[in-house]
Amino acid sequence: MGAEKLSEQLEQIVLKRIAEDSLVLPTLPSVVAKALEVLKDPDVSFKQVGTIIERDPVIAARLLRQATSAAFAGGTKKVTLPEALTRLGAKAVRSLLVEATAQKVFMSRDPKIADSMKRVWQHSVAVATLSRDVLALSGNADSEAAYLAGLLHDVGKPVVAAILLEFERQMTEVYNRPFIDSAEWMAVIARTHRPVGVALAEKWQMPEQVTRCIRDSAEYDNADRASLVNIVCFSNSLAKKTGLYAGTIDADEVDALVMIGRSIIGANDEIIKTLTRGLKERLSNLYD
Amino acid sequence: MATILTVDDSRSVRTIVAKQVKDLGFEVEEAEDGVQGLSKLGEREYDLVLLDVTMPNLDGPGMLAKMREGGNKTPVIMLTSESKRSVVSGVMKIGIADYILKPFKPEELRAKVLSVLQGEGGAEDVLAVTSEPAAAAPEPAGRVEAGKQFVDVLVVDDMENVHKKLRTMLPAHISLNGVTSAQAALQSCRQRVYRVALVDTEIPDVDSAVLAQQLKVLQPHAAFVALALRTTNDVLGEARAQGFDNVLFKPFSQDNVDDFIGQYFDNLDLLTAEENVLKAAAFTGRADRIDKYYTRIAETFSPALNKVAAACFEDVILDVSVAPTTGDRLAKFLLAAADQAKQVGMRFAVVGGGELQKILNTYTETKELKFYASVSEAQAASQA
Repeated sequence: MGAEKLSEQLEQIVLKRIAEDSLVLPTLPSVVAKALEVLKDPDVSFKQVGTIIERDPVIAARLLRQATSAAFAGGTKKVTLPEALTRLGAKAVRSLLVEATAQKVFMSRDPKIADSMKRVWQHSVAVATLSRDVLALSGNADSEAAYLAGLLHDVGKPVVAAILLEFERQMTEVYNRPFIDSAEWMAVIARTHRPVGVALAEKWQMPEQVTRCIRDSAEYDNADRASLVNIVCFSNSLAKKTGLYAGTIDADEVDALVMIGRSIIGANDEIIKTLTRGLKERLSNLYD
Repeated sequence: MATILTVDDSRSVRTIVAKQVKDLGFEVEEAEDGVQGLSKLGEREYDLVLLDVTMPNLDGPGMLAKMREGGNKTPVIMLTSESKRSVVSGVMKIGIADYILKPFKPEELRAKVLSVLQGEGGAEDVLAVTSEPAAAAPEPAGRVEAGKQFVDVLVVDDMENVHKKLRTMLPAHISLNGVTSAQAALQSCRQRVYRVALVDTEIPDVDSAVLAQQLKVLQPHAAFVALALRTTNDVLGEARAQGFDNVLFKPFSQDNVDDFIGQYFDNLDLLTAEENVLKAAAFTGRADRIDKYYTRIAETFSPALNKVAAACFEDVILDVSVAPTTGDRLAKFLLAAADQAKQVGMRFAVVGGGELQKILNTYTETKELKFYASVSEAQAASQA
């Protein structure tokens, strides 16, 4: 069987599994799921949320670190977990919980995909950062949704990569047949990751607009210029143009998306320079 | 005046675009499809085309492709409701300067039209970081602007005597074009690249401030100086309020013209360099201005000498055959120049006429300078 044919079959298998709801998707850790659930209540106390989160010391430590970072005007003074959560606010806590979970999805012990998934994660953080900044430029205070949408727009990729890895083991070890090369790997992932990402976002009960971004942000939405889809699409093209991407890029299409985005978002050259200035350096140590 | 062609099958879009463009002070013509658009482009030159994508008979991408195939490099801004990346990517490959999505805001149209006409904006690589070579934006076909003749000064004044008078007061190496009407000024600015445009503030039936703005679009890198009469008003303040950089008063005085030269023309023009030969420009003007000429030429010698030294020449040849020989200024300048050459370890030779040779022999300090009657003699001597 030729590589092209095999690649098509793999794509069909992934899509069929999605349609049949038989895809094995990463679950939210119980602590995260529970914390996200109680955070839906606007009257919830951070003491109550803290009681849930402290059961996962890694996530608790991450939230404490973030609350004492410069971004949240933190000092050297030690704070308790409820104090940290109060300082961060409910929206930021939700984002950080999802980010911590999503990052794990992108981590792989398999050397074949570990590096490329690390780069997909870095790209995702770049898109998240740009999306938040683009939304903030429009004066919209609710930029956490943009951050989440950017962060998760490619979340289907590591899931598809893990499925392909399993297929490869079966093909090469059980049936002793050759598998597709790494370029084909990325091509199959690019063609199938969005519905997988949507399925994952639905399973994690992400907000509808986040799910919509995962599904539709490959193109701009003319009918709704201010939509999050357009912000993520523009941020995605800027991140690619900045070189923060894993896989091959169609440079002409990326240029086209930046050019369309300049008009649809209303971003002039100065804004784009401000958004992308030092982006690579800012994101260089995010996979610690 | 820049003329823009809007090609769109929607009459209302053409009307809105025409109004916006006219408000900017440009002329606009309309075509309702690609066939009409190509026909218009065949009749005359336009400075910019605003092009829709979806149109009957011949669509925007089709018209754009035919334009470029036929060698027409007029800048094109796509003005369309099409936002599919495959379509936009396709027209970018053919060559567009920018893109506007309908419905558009007037300020976006104005900003992009001005940016493209001024040759400084559009779809350039605007990222603040270095992008991968593969992702670099292609050179838009509309920006290619080669072969325009460079001229130092444009004088726009309905009185021809103004051009003639200024010509006599400027050194010969500063080139000058004079025009007497707004139409001729706009035409000239389309065909030439100017360093400075001098615009009379009292041209009959012409608003000089508006004319200057239109010329600026065609000459974005030129300085704009108002030609005005001395009055008791704050002439400079008024000119600046109208967008001019400065004022040159009429009738001209040599002092003012010299200041103008010093302000807008790199002093290196007084001393042109070709390999290791530095040639002093001729002096034009009244005799009492010679001191100023030598002061400026002395200022320019040092950087010019450093350039010759940096190019690893061992000799520097200074050709002063057209420099004024009145008084002792030339001798003093040559002594100082020879001393500077010695300090950077270079041999120094002077080229001039018989009068210069006499002057050099007059002073003990200058007798020893190597003198040649022509550059070729000096070059032959240095190679011997």
